[in-house]
Amino acid sequence: MRQLRAAATCGLLLTSAGCMQYLVQPPQPSLAGTPQTVQANSYLGSEVQQPPYVLAQRCRNGEQLARVLVRRNFGQGLISWLTLGMVAPATIEYSCANAGEPPLGGGGGS
Amino acid sequence: MATQPSFNAKTRWKNFHESYEQTIVGEWDVFMPQQASGLTVADLKETSAQFQKLIAEARKQGLKARAVGSSWSLSRAPTTTGWTFNTNRLRGRLKVPAADVDPLYPGSADQKAGLYLFQCGNTVADVNKVLESDSQKRALFTSGAANGQTIVGATSCGTHGSALEFGALHDHIVAIHLIASGNSHFWIERKSRPVMSAAWVKGLGATLKRDDDDLFNAAVVSFGSFGVINAVVLETAPRYLLETHPATAKLDEALWKVIGALDFSAHPLFKTAGKPYFFQAVINPPTDEVLIMANYRKEGPASHQANYDLISDPKSIGPGFDALSTVGVILDRFKGVIPAFSKIAAQQLFDTKPKTGVPGEIYGFKPPLLHVASGSIAVALPDARRTLEALIALYKEIGPVPLVFGCRYTRKTPALLGFNKFDMGLMISLDGVDSENTRKFFDAAADRLEAKGIDYTQHWGKVNAYTPARLQKAYGGNVAKWLAARKQVLPDAADRAVFDNAYIADRGLAG
Repeated sequence: MRQLRAAATCGLLLTSAGCMQYLVQPPQPSLAGTPQTVQANSYLGSEVQQPPYVLAQRCRNGEQLARVLVRRNFGQGLISWLTLGMVAPATIEYSCANAGEPPLGGGGGS
Repeated sequence: MATQPSFNAKTRWKNFHESYEQTIVGEWDVFMPQQASGLTVADLKETSAQFQKLIAEARKQGLKARAVGSSWSLSRAPTTTGWTFNTNRLRGRLKVPAADVDPLYPGSADQKAGLYLFQCGNTVADVNKVLESDSQKRALFTSGAANGQTIVGATSCGTHGSALEFGALHDHIVAIHLIASGNSHFWIERKSRPVMSAAWVKGLGATLKRDDDDLFNAAVVSFGSFGVINAVVLETAPRYLLETHPATAKLDEALWKVIGALDFSAHPLFKTAGKPYFFQAVINPPTDEVLIMANYRKEGPASHQANYDLISDPKSIGPGFDALSTVGVILDRFKGVIPAFSKIAAQQLFDTKPKTGVPGEIYGFKPPLLHVASGSIAVALPDARRTLEALIALYKEIGPVPLVFGCRYTRKTPALLGFNKFDMGLMISLDGVDSENTRKFFDAAADRLEAKGIDYTQHWGKVNAYTPARLQKAYGGNVAKWLAARKQVLPDAADRAVFDNAYIADRGLAG
């Protein structure tokens, strides 16, 4: 029981240290290429961003987004905490999505 | 006209589960030709030419190269220090017309009607969706537990499947289109099972190789070492449904008969339903509680609208994408909570809700998890019980390990270096969280089986401890045959060097 409490405390400390991440994805992800990583900063309580937005340039030929993951590691969280949110760095990872289902060749129907 | 490959000067590559990273020189995105009415031979030729150009350029620049699909592998099999070729946009597919099948094809009329060519970037999920549609009414005979791997990535690493009366996932494959070098590409089949007509292969511009069975049996499980596999032809089954029967049972003598010998006659869970099509037992070593999954095959209905969606409960809260990396650190420090954690993890890693659906729904999309640890060991069914007892004893010696043992059973594969080496094999999937104790357990497991004199193989796409000596012991003369087959398609050492990596070098398979 003591170990469970200690584990819970440790977990709480880790999660409250400013680390965060959240994943957005569709119900049937179909990834095109590999994830692309962009370092981003948000300033003045999110009033200013650098870059202002992330353009998913690796998505080609009508590809949309399959997955977006926003991550803040311990160091990034610490900077945000120390600057009271004036500087809030994060890592953004996006994956392109295959555009639709290719038709079945060979006269096999769709 | 296809979009030309596009270079990305990315130098850090990581696998899907983020269990390791690799420094590369860059990656090439390869695109599918526009297809108004489906994949054609001309499309395959165009992609082949693009790959040949990239391979030739890699050789010219003295770079290594590898094709990568979903980067699903937990082993370093797909790694390269040079260029990666992303194949997961190459999702062309076609139903093989009867007119293109070789007159000597020995398959039945049903098998002939169920031949499909899939380009390398199709995932297992893609394959299932195509086959299981109402227009095709076909299915894979067997499947891995996940569906995010590309069909070529999963099969090249020897994914073992899970049906009691079928072999590995790669045993669906009957033809391979291999781009070996800047000036060669091959259409490889078994001599004993010709599939595509010589005229069709000539139209593709590939060199037909079916003088024996060995070359095919080597190339089908070659983890990217023979070149780029552009496409494969699969044999398929008529569409069927699986009805899952999950249960929890005590690890008593009756259950040992099931797990250790596939004797379903004495256990109350199977008295009525009998032998399933698929059987899995998940052992949580510190307890005597076993999660059972028995799936029964039912004839497919005339019409079935499959729902492949990853279903999530919007009210739920649970571990997220990267939870296991933190959990591993915590469990290293608080080992007392591991047995309870393993029980929860088993329920998360293995689907325990009853359902009925086509195989693509049963082995469907799952929430992604990072930093998982997973290795698999295969042994002959007669060695099943003593192997499990040895591994449970090792688990207890090392101390609680955040791992559970998933037991699945499959038939032998003809692939020379196939994981499914045994006539009837038990595949023990050691699944859990990457932690200090987990790594200790993986390191010690192979030694323990050797100390007990148990013949075993390891999964190429998961954490494994293969060495040249262990490979020789597991596969004997097949290793030399595999190396000879590689030289058959890559006779020039400089061409072989392009596809060498540390993973195969460490196992004595490079050069």
